[in-house]
Amino acid sequence: MAARDRQFLDPAVVARLGTLELKARTVVEGFIAGLHRSPFKGFSVEFAEYRQYIPGDDLSTMDWKVYARSDRHYVKKFEEETNLHCQLLLDVSGSMAYGSRGVSKFEYAACLAASLGYLMNRQRDGVGLVAFSDRIVDVLPSSTRAGHLRNLLVALDRLDVGSRTNVAKPLHQVADTLTKRGLVVLISDLLDDADAVIRGLKHFQYRGSDVLVFHVLDRDELEFPFDRTTRFEDLESGDEVVAVPGAVREHYLKRIGALIDRYRRELGAAGIDYQLLDTSQPLEMALLAYLSTRSRMA
Amino acid sequence: MSFLSPLFLAGAAAAVVPIVLHLLRRRTEHRVRFAAVALLKDAPVEQSMQRRLRQWLLLALRVTALVLLALAFARPFFRAASASRGRLTVVAIDTSLSMSAPAQLAQARQRAREVIRAAAGDVAVVTFSDSATVVVSPTSSQSTATSGVDAMTAGFGSTNYRAALAAAADLFRGRSGKLVVVTDLQANGWDSGARVGVPAGVQVEVQDVPALPENLALTDLRVDHDRVVATVTNAGAQMTEARVTLDVDGRTSGRAVVQVGGHASADAAFGGIQSGAIARAVVDDPRGIPGDNSRLAFLAGASPASVLVVTTSGDLDKDAWYVRHALIAAASSQKAGGVTGVSAAELGTWTDDRLSRFAVVAVLSSRGLERRAREHLAGYVASGGGLLIAAGPDVDGEVIADVLGTGSPLEIKGADSETLALAPADVRHPIFRAFGGDVASLSLVRFRNTARVSAANCQAIARFTSAEAAVLDCAIGPGHAVIVASDLNNRWNDFPIRASFVPFLDQTVRYLSNNSTRGADYLVDDVPSGVPAAPGVVTIDTGSGQRRAIVNVNPKESDLDRMLAADFYAFIERLRDSSASDARIELSEQESRQHLWQYLLAAALVALFAEGVVAARTA
Repeated sequence: MAARDRQFLDPAVVARLGTLELKARTVVEGFIAGLHRSPFKGFSVEFAEYRQYIPGDDLSTMDWKVYARSDRHYVKKFEEETNLHCQLLLDVSGSMAYGSRGVSKFEYAACLAASLGYLMNRQRDGVGLVAFSDRIVDVLPSSTRAGHLRNLLVALDRLDVGSRTNVAKPLHQVADTLTKRGLVVLISDLLDDADAVIRGLKHFQYRGSDVLVFHVLDRDELEFPFDRTTRFEDLESGDEVVAVPGAVREHYLKRIGALIDRYRRELGAAGIDYQLLDTSQPLEMALLAYLSTRSRMA
Repeated sequence: MSFLSPLFLAGAAAAVVPIVLHLLRRRTEHRVRFAAVALLKDAPVEQSMQRRLRQWLLLALRVTALVLLALAFARPFFRAASASRGRLTVVAIDTSLSMSAPAQLAQARQRAREVIRAAAGDVAVVTFSDSATVVVSPTSSQSTATSGVDAMTAGFGSTNYRAALAAAADLFRGRSGKLVVVTDLQANGWDSGARVGVPAGVQVEVQDVPALPENLALTDLRVDHDRVVATVTNAGAQMTEARVTLDVDGRTSGRAVVQVGGHASADAAFGGIQSGAIARAVVDDPRGIPGDNSRLAFLAGASPASVLVVTTSGDLDKDAWYVRHALIAAASSQKAGGVTGVSAAELGTWTDDRLSRFAVVAVLSSRGLERRAREHLAGYVASGGGLLIAAGPDVDGEVIADVLGTGSPLEIKGADSETLALAPADVRHPIFRAFGGDVASLSLVRFRNTARVSAANCQAIARFTSAEAAVLDCAIGPGHAVIVASDLNNRWNDFPIRASFVPFLDQTVRYLSNNSTRGADYLVDDVPSGVPAAPGVVTIDTGSGQRRAIVNVNPKESDLDRMLAADFYAFIERLRDSSASDARIELSEQESRQHLWQYLLAAALVALFAEGVVAARTA
């Protein structure tokens, strides 16, 4: 195994861990440990100004070097960037239940949401959760409180895949209720009307929020590796299609490729970060994408 | 449609296998609960009906391929109509010289028409003399057969019943029927060979055409020193006065009248013939067979088939008793005019012209063969003469090599003491070809001593059992030399007392004399290819030049002795019921002509290929 591969955990391995908290912590702590060599270190707390010491100030903030040079007491003032509020939008529609390699798209997405929540909470960013299928299923408002992470993880743990997908409608609903500008992270397989989805995401931009889209797909959905005549049953609608994979593979791959290209092209053009995630990829890839977006916002 | 190997049709039962497998392995499709089914909906998704049809197509292709394979191995064919029809009547009509009299031929035609008219089923017409020709192949059209009969003409060949019956029997090919031979029942139409086989299901019938009551024929024309002798044969019972005219090179040279007794022969001699090349004798016989009323003979070179035997003393009774009597006994010698002996020493005193009168020179001894005699012999061969050399105890290899010239290094070495036999190496050589199936009789000869002969330009046409050359044929310019690697006088071998000696010597002399550029005479029955089978003077291209040859009818055809029909049937051997095997052969030939199996195999391969394509799309 290459050293690079050892840095990240296999999603299937993470999925076998006990609680969602443990999963999130395992992912994030391992990820943070790897970031010591990354360009993202030290962005969370910034130096702001020197201020003359006032009795009562914490002596640990006293700058003794300045005192030595000027014989005056100054304390270092830091500005904490905790004014970022992130809303995790998690797709729990029936299509997210598909998984071919020990982990479903839903499990992968929930673990990703938990990891992001853990990471945000650790950075003292406010994080909230909206779970939706064709409607909003669960809402957890954004908060920076220390115990909020636990609420988030419990909410994620209670979620289960629902019925049909209608991504656009919940997006518009959430966008209309946003009171603070912040970051919106959508985790979905986006197997819906692309026009409606893109319009919904642009709605967030209109409301002043930055948007990061994690497009979660299974490897089967990307490669269509089936080799014998198969009756495909839709996870949401129950529709059935009998197909000879050899005959339809080219068409399917063209369609899924066009869908991905369209999201990547149109969302990129709208300034929305788009990240395609294969459920066989480590979650750390998603965290890197998040941090990249977060650093730009900072 | 019929099948050559119908048992292979059982292989078609294998077609059940894919059907059973299809039924056993029929199952519902593999099911997958999938998220992106919407992306498949407008794909060229196979509908269940299409899929079912494709599966049935796949099954049909597999079954078809197996059935086609079974059919191909069963070797199918369409049975030809001729093979499936019933009885066949073959009319074999004698068109030999003896049937050439107008009355004979008219009778033969009439008999043949009657047979055709009475025939039930198909009819075929065969004409025959020394060989047989299928004039009308089996046909249901009696008018076609009758037309073939009307168009036939008699030729100059001699009668050969064996050829006629063999050719006619071949036409039956497993069918039953009748073989009707329309002939004058000439007694010498059967040769001395084995009997001819006719299938048991074929009834043989003879339609007898009565022979001519009287006929005069010129059966021989020979040169005897300065005389030309014509032999007239009377086939009638009454003594007849025969008027014979002799032409030399187209000019009448003499007339003679001879009395010929009933069933007897008489010679008409013409003297004072001093010059000329070709003599033609004609007997006046308006009522007999026209084709045997004349005969041709070479005058130039005196006797083209005469043989000069060179021995130590020149006394043939002493030095070459066997050779002399064998040559006299042989038909070719009879036609030639005798055998002449000369001592090797005396040959030196001869002139080239005198030597050139002989068609063949047999050298049995080289003792006393002086330089001048060698030059004579060398010139003789160089001018196209034929030389027979018996490499016996009296022949010196160096002398013979001198005779044959420096271009033909000949080596005759000492004798072996091992008893050896002889076997022809080339049975198609003219010397051995005439032996036919009796060529094995040559192997009965025991050679106690042999010479080792090797020479360039010589082909070993027979070898001893020691693999040494026994008989060599050497091409010396336009001439030929045949070398026997032993003696011919019962000293080194017992060849002269064997039955094969006379025909061997006769055929050798015929071969050597026919190779002579001075001229050759043929019977109509055995003319070389390209020469018309009719009496007359012809020019033959030998490759190294041209030479004239004369063609006469076979004198045996003028022998009108008849046989009884019962004797005719006695020569026919009834084959055991070969109709089944004949039919099988016929069917096999039909099948091999049609080779339908190849198309079926190709179709099976196409079906298998299509099966592969459909299977790949149905997997």
